Amino acid sequence: MPNEFSVLGKSLPRKDALEKVTGEVKFVADMQLPRMLHAKFLRSPYAHAMITKIDTSRAEALRGVKCVLTHENTPNVHPLGKFEYLLDHRVHHAGEEVAAVAAETEDIAKEALKLIDVKYEVEPAVFDAEEAMKPDAPLVHREYGTNMYYGTEHGHAASPSPRWRKDGWLPLQVGDVDKGFAEADYIVEGVYESPIQCNCSPIPRSVVCQWAGDNLTCWADTQIPQWVSKDLAKCLGIPRSSIRVICNWPVGGYGSKQPEKIATLTAIMAKKTGRPVKAVFTREEEFVATHHRPNYKGYEKIGVKKDGTITAMSHRVIGNFGRDFVWGPEVMSASAAATCGTLYMYQNMKFEGAAVMTNIPDAGAMNGLGDPEMGFIVERVMDEAAEAIGMDPVEFRLKNCARYGSRSISRRDVLGLSPDELELRPDWINWGIVGPDFDSLQECIKRVRDKSEWKKKWKGWRTPVEVNGTKRRGIGIAIGMHMSAYRPYSAIVKTNQDGSVIVMSMAAEIGQGIRTAMAQVVAETLGINYEDVEVLLADTAATPEGWGVIASGGTSSAIPAAWHAAQEVRRQVFNIAVGRLGVKPDELEAKDGRIYVKDDPPQSISFREACLRGYQITGAYVNPNPDDLRDEKTGKTINTYACVATIAEVEVDTETGKLDVLRITSAHDCGRAINPQIVENQIDMGLVQSNGYARAEELIIDKDTGVVLNPDLLDYKLMTILDMPKMDDMQEIVVERPSAWGAFGSKGFSETGATSGAPAIANAVYNAIGVRVRGEHITPAAILEALGE
Amino acid sequence: MAVSISLVVNGEAHKVDVEPWWSLAYVLREKLGLTGTKIMCNNGACGSCTVLLNGQPVSSCLKLAVLAEGQNITTIEGLADTETGKLRPLQEAFIKYSGMQCGTCTAGMILTAKALLDENPTPTEDDVREALAGNLCRCGNYKRIVQCVLAAAEATRGGV
Repeated sequence: MPNEFSVLGKSLPRKDALEKVTGEVKFVADMQLPRMLHAKFLRSPYAHAMITKIDTSRAEALRGVKCVLTHENTPNVHPLGKFEYLLDHRVHHAGEEVAAVAAETEDIAKEALKLIDVKYEVEPAVFDAEEAMKPDAPLVHREYGTNMYYGTEHGHAASPSPRWRKDGWLPLQVGDVDKGFAEADYIVEGVYESPIQCNCSPIPRSVVCQWAGDNLTCWADTQIPQWVSKDLAKCLGIPRSSIRVICNWPVGGYGSKQPEKIATLTAIMAKKTGRPVKAVFTREEEFVATHHRPNYKGYEKIGVKKDGTITAMSHRVIGNFGRDFVWGPEVMSASAAATCGTLYMYQNMKFEGAAVMTNIPDAGAMNGLGDPEMGFIVERVMDEAAEAIGMDPVEFRLKNCARYGSRSISRRDVLGLSPDELELRPDWINWGIVGPDFDSLQECIKRVRDKSEWKKKWKGWRTPVEVNGTKRRGIGIAIGMHMSAYRPYSAIVKTNQDGSVIVMSMAAEIGQGIRTAMAQVVAETLGINYEDVEVLLADTAATPEGWGVIASGGTSSAIPAAWHAAQEVRRQVFNIAVGRLGVKPDELEAKDGRIYVKDDPPQSISFREACLRGYQITGAYVNPNPDDLRDEKTGKTINTYACVATIAEVEVDTETGKLDVLRITSAHDCGRAINPQIVENQIDMGLVQSNGYARAEELIIDKDTGVVLNPDLLDYKLMTILDMPKMDDMQEIVVERPSAWGAFGSKGFSETGATSGAPAIANAVYNAIGVRVRGEHITPAAILEALGE
Repeated sequence: MAVSISLVVNGEAHKVDVEPWWSLAYVLREKLGLTGTKIMCNNGACGSCTVLLNGQPVSSCLKLAVLAEGQNITTIEGLADTETGKLRPLQEAFIKYSGMQCGTCTAGMILTAKALLDENPTPTEDDVREALAGNLCRCGNYKRIVQCVLAAAEATRGGV
């Protein structure tokens, strides 16, 4: 689209670029404070055990040790809705915290861990989700009485679910699947799996805590500062006003940056010692003691007619959420709402999902929350369905994919967070629609089809693109979607007398570029230079309320709040200009650092002069409740989503199973690209991570002991630059279909990229080798196994 | 027992007392305050902590500090001109083309690329990919990083 803007839509240099190329950027792990102590954690070697005795006397006697915490001297509180206590007398997975030490140096703290004597009474443990669902399975948390989440508040603090069935299944249904299957010409049925994927944050979890009297400052590497603040307040029994959580430079976390538990332990040690304490996880701890994407097992069934109509689809999905399913309701409901409940238009759908606890490390949020897990399953099923009727898989998706007006549901409505409504109408489900912007899914499909030259390359079912000895080339498509969450969020924009502007928001810059994008939106709104806007982020004592950067809500929620706050500033600036220029506010426009009379441009005052006269102009804004988003035509609730289509081309060596991804074409709708370069970078993030998801990233957990066997980056394989296609063969297509709610039509889209890469590769591999891989990985071993080698 | 060693970092000589088991990465960060060197994996798998040792890229988490005694070390903080603060073409290119996202791998990427460009001022895309094969970027910014390195090579050739 033509760019009528001065600042918006331009690939301006990132606000954080200079400090990142000079090494000046400071992460929490880089902090040093005078008299700072270093914390280390002792972890359980057993997956399930009772601590019968713990003796810390030798550790405490070591010179330089200042504090040792165990369950015996730590308050019995549950961090962030978890079952286990901060430090528990029982351990529930190998790697759970047993004790914490603060010492003068890291070396001393490590040494002290070895001097703590712990006696364990090992108890039966369970690692597989389906095993854990059996009536006689060992209970991960016996006080809960079952390993399956059933909707109580013991789950994530934010999401008790009145809709969850008491037998442990989350239901979601539309139409009549039995009737739908009866109408089908073909039925495809199967069991599909998607794997655990570790977030692998580049810098392991880190916090620094320091007290001044009764006030705590916690520098936390987190994407959700107010959750850290909330949890510290709860666990320490102090008001949130006494706690300042600062996360000015969190590192990419892709959903994992939730350091509540170590923040609390570190704060307690800082209080006890009267000194600042720093805790930084090791890489191994990052694998075993943070959370990862859960693995899913899906019992899937789809009915299709010869003309390509999907008559019904059913999903019975089991997610392994590990030690504590705090994230279970969130992830499972996201899968139900988006990939199962919205992505395709079929009229008969039945979803049942179980969030199951086992004695492995926690599962939780990772890039795409629920949709990559489910998408890897559903998009392989769709491919099989298209094959059953002999239809081109691109055409099949074009025919059935969601579009403006097709039924949709939000994650929140799946959980049924409104008990009052539910009491009145227990069967009521708030099915809304996707808005006009969602027509872009078809556009995405068409554009990847054309750009990848699908029509030329696709030779039909069971025919590879090319065969060259043992090497076979294949092509495959997948589509995907993810929430682009619009929720309450606040922002403050204030001017300085020199005409520069500061924006304050709870959103954290985790590499996604929000500091840059927010500055561009505010500069554009005020008609001033990008360089004159600075953004202060994620400080619970200084920035207004917001829920951090999750659910692609940075662009969808935080930036709209800043945009509206800037509009309020502009309104006040215009009022000042009116006094000088003698016209009405609606006759003015803000551009190039000046306030002009639209029809008489020589008449103007500078933005700076208005700021000087205004002393300090401040605009504040809180987004309204998302329920207010209604479709103008139908009056129905609009659910806010972003979509993607991806085509992958692969080469498989049938002799070795070696898989090369030759080319990826991926089209994403971001509403409007605030900074096109950053948009493409975020697309690439999803594509690279979803390549790893399908092809390489495999967390190996010992089946007998529950111990993670590869907690390091040598043995847990991330994609390298050589695993990815060359520059010209990574084709990002940016689609701009303005959203109804975002700043200048923009919307959050960054997590959508993680959803369709893996299934596109899986489908391309099928096209190449003619055998389906329905399991967790498309690794050389899995390919050879499928080929019967 | 701690030993006293001298390290020449970014042209400046330092006397440091180190334990024999301390890595160069640890000493640079904790003893000299040069936290631009980031530690991601701490076992030589990711390249984030890359520094130049006599011009050659090494993973400083795998290098014992005592073994770097007397050698010339360049960290990311020493890349820009120390007198004028003028950035190197690689740094300029990473800014211009958004070569970073979260910023953890950036220093290692730039220093590894510098060693490449010092040796081969006219690299092909394949040369750049080969050189950066040991540097992981969890944010998946590989394509952009290659673009940055090629642009920096071109700018250097053009005498910019």
